[in-house]
Amino acid sequence: MKVSVQGVRVDRGDWSLSAEGTFNEGIHLVSGDVGSGKSTLALMLAGLLTAASGYIERQGISSHMIAFQFPEFHITGTDIFKECRSWGIDPGPVLASAGLADGALTDPHALSRGELKRLVLFCILAKQYDLLILDEPFSSLDCVEKERLCAELSGRKHGITVIFTHEQAFFPKVDRIWEISGGILHDRGRVPDALGRWEHAPAVIRDLVRAGKVPANISRTELLEAVCRT
Amino acid sequence: MQDIRLRTGAAALLSFVAFTTLTGALLVFIWWLVFSHPLQVLKKIRGAVPAIILVAFFGLVLELTGGGGFSYTARMAVIILVGAWLYAEYRQGEFLGLGTWLGGKKAGFDCGMVAEMAIQSLDLMAADLTRIRHAQELKGGHWGVRSLVPAGSILIRGTLRRADETAELMAVRGYQRGGSCCPLFTTTRRDIIAGIAAVCITVIAFLPVSEFFILYH
Repeated sequence: MKVSVQGVRVDRGDWSLSAEGTFNEGIHLVSGDVGSGKSTLALMLAGLLTAASGYIERQGISSHMIAFQFPEFHITGTDIFKECRSWGIDPGPVLASAGLADGALTDPHALSRGELKRLVLFCILAKQYDLLILDEPFSSLDCVEKERLCAELSGRKHGITVIFTHEQAFFPKVDRIWEISGGILHDRGRVPDALGRWEHAPAVIRDLVRAGKVPANISRTELLEAVCRT
Repeated sequence: MQDIRLRTGAAALLSFVAFTTLTGALLVFIWWLVFSHPLQVLKKIRGAVPAIILVAFFGLVLELTGGGGFSYTARMAVIILVGAWLYAEYRQGEFLGLGTWLGGKKAGFDCGMVAEMAIQSLDLMAADLTRIRHAQELKGGHWGVRSLVPAGSILIRGTLRRADETAELMAVRGYQRGGSCCPLFTTTRRDIIAGIAAVCITVIAFLPVSEFFILYH
């Protein structure tokens, strides 16, 4: 199962994005500044946007899903119970995981942006997709929820998961790091080797790498281990 | 047409003419074919053709129930085409300039700004609708009539929330009314010819032909 990005290019006036590479099974982190083209690439990987040149080939992928940055776009149910049902999942466990079990009859639009984001993410994570694309999954979440989402994502063993984010504090365990800079998608390689080449790395990771304490991965646990390493 | 003053004036006149008489609608359609780059307009404003089809459906119902449906469809279709042309040629900031030129730095500026915001909202709604459609299709649902209620709900709530946030932001920044704007308009020869043609169509549509051709008597 893999997604090959072959000579893809998008142009919008002075702005452009070029991408090349292969996303194999595992968890991939794509970082980059706001406006660098993360959402554009996410849409292209999901097959929702056609590149001006090049192509994206999916092999062995029978199901895919993208979680948009703004969770409202996904809503079709008139209450959160029906919303869970619209994803084809059992609402009970999902609402319990999302901490929304008490408000099953609440209109999804009456939830705060953070609650809605949580609901949609947990509905998506309750299913097994061969290709799962998450566009800024950490936005609108508080620190506790970000940590919980990281734990969920770290435990994901099936298929290809691509996380597009400019988050600098919370990360799940990832297999490979990519970054978009100067309008080009760069493959920084497998973690932990990628950490020394990661330009958008958070300051704490840069400092750790500089001090020779390269963390095994970028989740909070691994970073703490590296910080405490003597 | 590059000059927003002539473009808006022509669109207003032509819409009025097309709405009022069938002959006028025919003349306006010819004007639209000559001056609007029709293919580019229809390619850019993809909602124009579905809107005409929707009007045609109601026109057919009207024709079958009470008559006058075909005339209504033809007139409304031409108005939609004129509206599509006006929207397709729009460039950001034009209505702010037009409002200020027409009504001054207070009421005119405010009206222009409201028009700009409305157009910006239309663009955002179109982008949101695309995202909603994609999200629903990925979820396994088919995009159809049943999708319209949830999609409409998201669009309306989103637009109201954005309007509310914009209003709060402007109030926080100290906005009360009016503002400074020094619009620059570019008028080409083609603009003038198209404007004159629009005025001629208005005159022809409302005055009997015999008034022009005295010898006809």
